[in-house]
Amino acid sequence: MFQIISDGGCDFTKEEALRHNVEIVPFYVTFDGETHLKEGVDITNEEFFIRLSTEKNLFPKTSQPTPQDYINAYEPYLKAGKNIISLTISSKLSGTYNSATLAANMMKEEYPNRTILVIDSLNCAVGQGLILREIIKMRDNGIMITKAADIAKEIIKTTRIYFTLDSLEYLRRGGRVGPTTAFVGNLLGLRPVLHIVDGAVEQLESVQGKKKVLQLMEDGIVDALKDDLHNVSLCIGHILRNDDAIAFKASIEGALGTKITNPIAEIDATIGTHAGPGALAVAYCKKYESLVRR
Amino acid sequence: MNTWFIVAQILGVITIIFEFASYQIKDKSKYFRTTGIGSFFWLTMFFSIGMATGMDTQLSLMVAASYSTIRNLVFWRIFSKNTPQSKELGLNFLLVMIGVALVAGTLSVINAPEQVRWLHALGMVAALSFVIGQYLPGVHYVRITVTFYALIVMLTQTPLNILYGDFRWNIMGILIELAKISSVIIFYLRFAKDPKKPQLQFAKP
Repeated sequence: MFQIISDGGCDFTKEEALRHNVEIVPFYVTFDGETHLKEGVDITNEEFFIRLSTEKNLFPKTSQPTPQDYINAYEPYLKAGKNIISLTISSKLSGTYNSATLAANMMKEEYPNRTILVIDSLNCAVGQGLILREIIKMRDNGIMITKAADIAKEIIKTTRIYFTLDSLEYLRRGGRVGPTTAFVGNLLGLRPVLHIVDGAVEQLESVQGKKKVLQLMEDGIVDALKDDLHNVSLCIGHILRNDDAIAFKASIEGALGTKITNPIAEIDATIGTHAGPGALAVAYCKKYESLVRR
Repeated sequence: MNTWFIVAQILGVITIIFEFASYQIKDKSKYFRTTGIGSFFWLTMFFSIGMATGMDTQLSLMVAASYSTIRNLVFWRIFSKNTPQSKELGLNFLLVMIGVALVAGTLSVINAPEQVRWLHALGMVAALSFVIGQYLPGVHYVRITVTFYALIVMLTQTPLNILYGDFRWNIMGILIELAKISSVIIFYLRFAKDPKKPQLQFAKP
């Protein structure tokens, strides 16, 4: 049985990570550029986002785990004789994949008989989380590491994530939208719907009003999944909007006529810095079983 | 009938074809490219009429057609790039275009005879709503606002403009506006039969 390691972009809680025996390598966040806090270790998600929403001129930065962080994560498992699958946030969103790969190459020299497979999820947040869940299932069902990695790469191709934001303010702070776009968008109550295409964040559409955007997202999900519902895994994520996420999940369950078994996730700071409090995300991918059966 | 007048009629027909075609297109950047080319032929049509009848009568129309051509072609470039930077540029450009339309419309209202000022004010509202409608996402806003705009243009610029007391038998003008309206109607008839797709199209897994 191989060990699974992921960066903090997967939106797993500490308890979940422990329960599923997944090692999380956290990102760093800094508010002042000097003090770098380990996300989920030195600062909780909630503390981070409350600070982000209350301090108007604040734009915290997140930074990737270092190669040394990955070496520290890999080594105990390699010493224990385990092979590793290391899943990272999209390489187009962060340099984490490079850190993980660099560390893996260094470790391979020291442990030539061990296998470390670093996989770029080309996704983030609950999208990355879903891929991770499928890898966990494969490991727990006794699938060998190389086969699991191959299937994971197929799952990645089927993984979609869509998220809507409460406002354009945090995209503006991060320089991802211009001041005019943010001003006019917020004035009109526009809620952007973003998605990930080939590992990079793109805007799909802007919709006026929260109620409407959630309804349209639900319609989009139903249309995309209705033909292949039983082969799909789905997950909802949010930033400081647990009640909205619960209602959204229930609404989707009603529309699809099936239960979403994955727990609602809290989106981490890496994406959250740009999305801001109020963001809601939905992700789905093919279950690994459906790809094995082919 | 002089040659320039015949050329103007040919250019008018080309304008009609492009204007009609543009409202059959769902893709925003292709729509702007097609309507932008249509606007360019519209401009050359006024130029040809000017050559036939005297430029002074066509100057204001040529300015309006130039404004329309530039606006559509700039929007085409912005929508075909579809990056945050191009969107920011597009929005700033839209605000400038709104400003220009507002100033031109206000001047038109002020200079109009008192009994038809309301019509010119309506024209300004229609022009503004059309410019904004073009920029808004989706296929509906632009088609709703262009219908309103085309009706108002016909009222102010064509024989239907009976309030002035003088009939302007600009047949080509009517046909161009009718091409837009009929294209919108045909668009909805064509796509009404299509199975309804969600407004947000999410990819299948």
